[in-house]
Amino acid sequence: MPAFLNFNCSKTIDCKQGAVRAVRYNVDGSYCLSCGSDKKIKLWNPVSGLLLKTYGGHADEVTDVAGSCDSSYIVSSSLDKSIIYWDVATGAPVRRLRSHAGGVRCVCFNEDSSIAISGGRDNAIMCWDIRTRRLDPVQVMKDAKDCITAVLTNDHKIFASSLDGCVRHYDIRVGELTCDEVGQPITYLAQTKDEQCLLVGCQDNTLRLLDCESGGLLSEYKGHQSADYHIECGILADDAHLVSGSSDGDAYIWDLLETKVLQRIRICDNGGVVHSLATHPKRQEMLFARRRDMYVFSTDLQIEEEQL
Amino acid sequence: MDEENHLHRFGTPLEPLEKDEVPAKKPLAIEDQIVKDENGKRRFHGAFTGGFSAGFWNTVGSLEGWTPQNFKSSRGEKASKVQQRPEDFMDNEDLGEFGIAPQGIRTRDDFSKESEQEQRTGQRKRKLMQPPVAGPIPGVPVLEQLLRPVRDKVAVRILKSMGWKPGQGVGPRQTRKEKRLAMARNKREQYLLDHYGDEGIPSSTKQQHSEDAADDEDNDDEDEDEDITFAPDDYEPMFYTPKENRFGMSYSGLSRAPVLSKSSTTAAPMQHINLFGQLDTAAKQKPFSIRGQAFGVGAFEEEDEDIYAKDDMTRYDFSLADKQPQQKKAQYVQQRHVIDGFSEDKSNITHNKPFVIDLPRDFKPRNWLQRRSRFTPLDAERARKIAEADYKKAGLGRHDLNPEQRAQLLGESQVKKNPFKTANSVSTQEQQERSKSLLELISAKSSNFTKGGLISTAGEELPVATVAPVELSKELQESNAALQAQAASKTKNLASSQPSSGFKPFLADEAKQQRYEKFLAANLKDDKEITEFLAELQPVTLSLWDREMEKKEFMQASKIYRPLAGLMLDRFVSEATVQEGNAKQEVQPDEKLKIVMKRTKAMWKPSALLCKRYNIAEPYGGALPEVENTLKGKAKMSIFDYLETSVNTKANFQTPTIIPKHIELPKQQQGQQQREQVTLPTSKPAPTAPVEEAEVKAPLEPANSTAIKPTFVPKTPLEHAVDAARDKPISEKIDLFKSIFDDSDEETEAPAVAQGQPPELEKDAKIKEMQAALGLPCTTATSAAAVNLLRNNSPPRGLFAALFKPPEEVVKPTEPAPTKFAPIPGNKLKIAYKSREERLRNDRELAMAEVPQEDLYGPKLPSQLKPTEVQAEASIDAKLQQLWQEHAPKKRKAEQWVERTLSSSEDSDEDSTDSSSEDSDVKVKKSKSKKSSSKKSKKSKQKSKKKSKKGEKSKHKSKKKKSKH
Repeated sequence: MPAFLNFNCSKTIDCKQGAVRAVRYNVDGSYCLSCGSDKKIKLWNPVSGLLLKTYGGHADEVTDVAGSCDSSYIVSSSLDKSIIYWDVATGAPVRRLRSHAGGVRCVCFNEDSSIAISGGRDNAIMCWDIRTRRLDPVQVMKDAKDCITAVLTNDHKIFASSLDGCVRHYDIRVGELTCDEVGQPITYLAQTKDEQCLLVGCQDNTLRLLDCESGGLLSEYKGHQSADYHIECGILADDAHLVSGSSDGDAYIWDLLETKVLQRIRICDNGGVVHSLATHPKRQEMLFARRRDMYVFSTDLQIEEEQL
Repeated sequence: MDEENHLHRFGTPLEPLEKDEVPAKKPLAIEDQIVKDENGKRRFHGAFTGGFSAGFWNTVGSLEGWTPQNFKSSRGEKASKVQQRPEDFMDNEDLGEFGIAPQGIRTRDDFSKESEQEQRTGQRKRKLMQPPVAGPIPGVPVLEQLLRPVRDKVAVRILKSMGWKPGQGVGPRQTRKEKRLAMARNKREQYLLDHYGDEGIPSSTKQQHSEDAADDEDNDDEDEDEDITFAPDDYEPMFYTPKENRFGMSYSGLSRAPVLSKSSTTAAPMQHINLFGQLDTAAKQKPFSIRGQAFGVGAFEEEDEDIYAKDDMTRYDFSLADKQPQQKKAQYVQQRHVIDGFSEDKSNITHNKPFVIDLPRDFKPRNWLQRRSRFTPLDAERARKIAEADYKKAGLGRHDLNPEQRAQLLGESQVKKNPFKTANSVSTQEQQERSKSLLELISAKSSNFTKGGLISTAGEELPVATVAPVELSKELQESNAALQAQAASKTKNLASSQPSSGFKPFLADEAKQQRYEKFLAANLKDDKEITEFLAELQPVTLSLWDREMEKKEFMQASKIYRPLAGLMLDRFVSEATVQEGNAKQEVQPDEKLKIVMKRTKAMWKPSALLCKRYNIAEPYGGALPEVENTLKGKAKMSIFDYLETSVNTKANFQTPTIIPKHIELPKQQQGQQQREQVTLPTSKPAPTAPVEEAEVKAPLEPANSTAIKPTFVPKTPLEHAVDAARDKPISEKIDLFKSIFDDSDEETEAPAVAQGQPPELEKDAKIKEMQAALGLPCTTATSAAAVNLLRNNSPPRGLFAALFKPPEEVVKPTEPAPTKFAPIPGNKLKIAYKSREERLRNDRELAMAEVPQEDLYGPKLPSQLKPTEVQAEASIDAKLQQLWQEHAPKKRKAEQWVERTLSSSEDSDEDSTDSSSEDSDVKVKKSKSKKSSSKKSKKSKQKSKKKSKKGEKSKHKSKKKKSKH
């Protein structure tokens, strides 16, 4: 394993869309999306900091966004209880899906972007057949007892974390719901590249690594402060490092195996909660959202390599 | 050069042509450029270039040439002179598309869109609503087409359709005279109002009469056109006058205006007699007179026309000039600043402004009994008064002492007082000092708070507070803690107190209300408990149905009519609980939090489409049981749903069974009866019913006894076999199925064989018939299963499997439970001669036995699965059944078709072995079939084989399903 290289801020983007609620990379990490409290989504080039497009149409704060596998569509969730399927190029909303009884908190695409999965404050996970004109969800899972905070999917499973302290795996292949109870409210969920482990960000200032197969607790990572925020966490592209935001305005990077803090990134001296982040799917690069700004962090060397 | 000099140049020269460029076309010479109209006609022509084409092909005239208009005498047509229009003087071109008056079909302004109107008129109206750029529906918005502007109001349109025209009033048509009178009246009223205010109006009615008489004379000559009628005026003008005097309603006293003054200007009284001032009154030929009810006119006297005749020069002002037109002109002059339909108020009445007190500048309203803030101390005098008022409320002499004095007298120890209160009360010096310091502290604290300092929850002060010395703050902390504890203990009681029955929903029925209150007080959660509880309260006369309804009403009422306190209790947490929570939280961080991962698995059915999209085959080929789709029937929330929850929903509705079986015998007799039942339950002839005795005796066999008491039957060998086979592979189970289905097949044969002696099953069928005929619901467990052919007899799956399993093991054949009720054979109705207590008890038991448990979700449990106490019921059922048999009319016994359906229905349920009651049936059948086995045909055997195969298949399926769980 290569030695850990410290991350440095390579770009700071003032999103100018109110508080940034979430930042996300697209499928190959060449673009990024930011959701604002001004009900708009913005598409950026994270390297140059160029604003490419603004998507407006939601009626309330946008909470999450995901790009499709071919980067031609975006799906976004909002507190206005709806999900919007956007055409990237035209910026027009293709479909607006409403069935959630509460604000929608998280959304994701499946592998071929034919299904969008959303989770909301109404404790429901909904699967939407996004390519057809069907306006009601294909399936609704109402097993959670509290707000759904994050949804993930791979080729045959849907993972959902909820504030009721459970991670639920919906295995489509087996037709089985597995519920792993952590006991602490879970604010975010990430999956390793090998799909063996799940990283859950808990409300008790801890990240926990769960084994997908057995449901066992592999390790815990501490150091950051989550306070009462929905702090997001992530796994870096090399699957060896974890990252999490913190309510004290920092971001923390842990070694996955040794569970020790490798770097504490001071994002800004003025405080502000670093609540949302995104890890680059390939490079050692990250996005952080803090207040109104989006920060791009990367290990300098790699950028140099690429530029060469 | 020479050439150039010769030439004269006009205009601008053309651009020199490029070498390669060839002019595409020879430019038209000016003289060749002809303006043509759409007909190809030359528009301008010849010498008149620039003029319009005129006439017929530029001639003066027409197709026929120029012919002068023939002279026609218009003498007869003078009245109907043709109105000439501008179009008459226009050319065809002018009326064309591009002319000055284009003609064509287009929407009228009333119906055209705004944009079109704008185009036409050239005016732009501000648009209120911009149509959405990309709406969901393409094309012209449908709504806009539907909502065309309508000019007239509906009322006006209706009126118009009924023949009304604007400018004409509604009502019976009037003759000219009537109309004139009405107009005059209105005018007069207006006039009077203008000049005299409201005092003038009542007198005007008098005037009117007299004037009518006068008018009559004038109109005599016009009487001939009596039959010509006119529409009445649009509306009658209304005259409102502000009331400025203090007279009674509609009373007009003597006019206060000076008698001889010019009354029209009340603002300027006491003028000299203006001889020419009253032209208006003179015009009416009526002298101004003083009248009024207050003026010395007796009750029986005719009111004098004029008491003090006022003579002024106007009476002698004879002028020939007619004043009418002048007046008219004045009336029709548009008054400025007055809305149409209104007229200016000429009486300069100024309304009195409400009286305003001039307050001193620094006055601040304040309730002197209240303190400005809870921290400022009251001044001593007032504090004492308030304190005294508190304990002197009762007003008796013994309250003159304050509590402390009384305590001293009684020798009680001093109670630690609230620090806020000690400031007022007489107490030890130490306390006073302490309280003072406390107050100081608190005021300091509050000031800090406003400054931005922080107060921690424990009462400690953060560094900002410099005033408080350390010891004092400690003291404060202590007292604060004490206070908090006090408050907590108080609020604790509050929280635990039940919502009292402030609201009385059943006030109409006092007894019911009392019961309801007791029900509330008892605060029972369990449904069964409630029924028991209510059964004790409810009077005996209440029917079972009423009981059930009442219970539901109570439950609903307690749900809905919760007093405010109760509602609030849900929302707020008492301080006590908050403190407890805090305490817990404080403790928590100390312990090492141990996260124990728990993994639970459950079945989940992904929808077919989801699987398809994920490119995954549906698990188990989509054979997973469908979870009921909550989204399909989108729940339409309605307030009525909520209101009628428990009482009127179909699911909750159960027809209470009214069966005359729960009549208790006196104890001793009951015991006797029981013994009888155990030994020989069938031969139980009622001593009171000798008629039935005869019927009973004949057909009964001892073999029936086992069938009748289903719960007492021990496990049959077959049942054992089924139990044992549960875990075996399917292949090994064939024998079992064979045994089962052989039986059932034989059953179908059985009745045909055993015709002579009416078998037990046949009786069951008859009971069913009877019950059906009587409209009674099925009461017995066996008959319920048998009668309801639609009932799902398949083995319980999923959730229900878990539900049903435990009782299966519980209901093992044990000692026969002592029956609670034994029927008195002869007594069909409840009217038994019994003591009140007995009846009460009976009722209670009835309620217990009949009312279903409602805290279980899902379909109703099969009654035979209910543990222990249900057994008793079942036994009763059995006895009842027996009773029915005894009373069953004989002629029905011959019918057999019911039998077949019954047996076939039992074919389908293989798992019926669960229920012990049905076991007994099976056993009986078996025994019977053994009897008739010798007569079995080969055919039937084949049949049974087929069936067993079928059964095997179905079993296989069910097994598969089970494995999925």
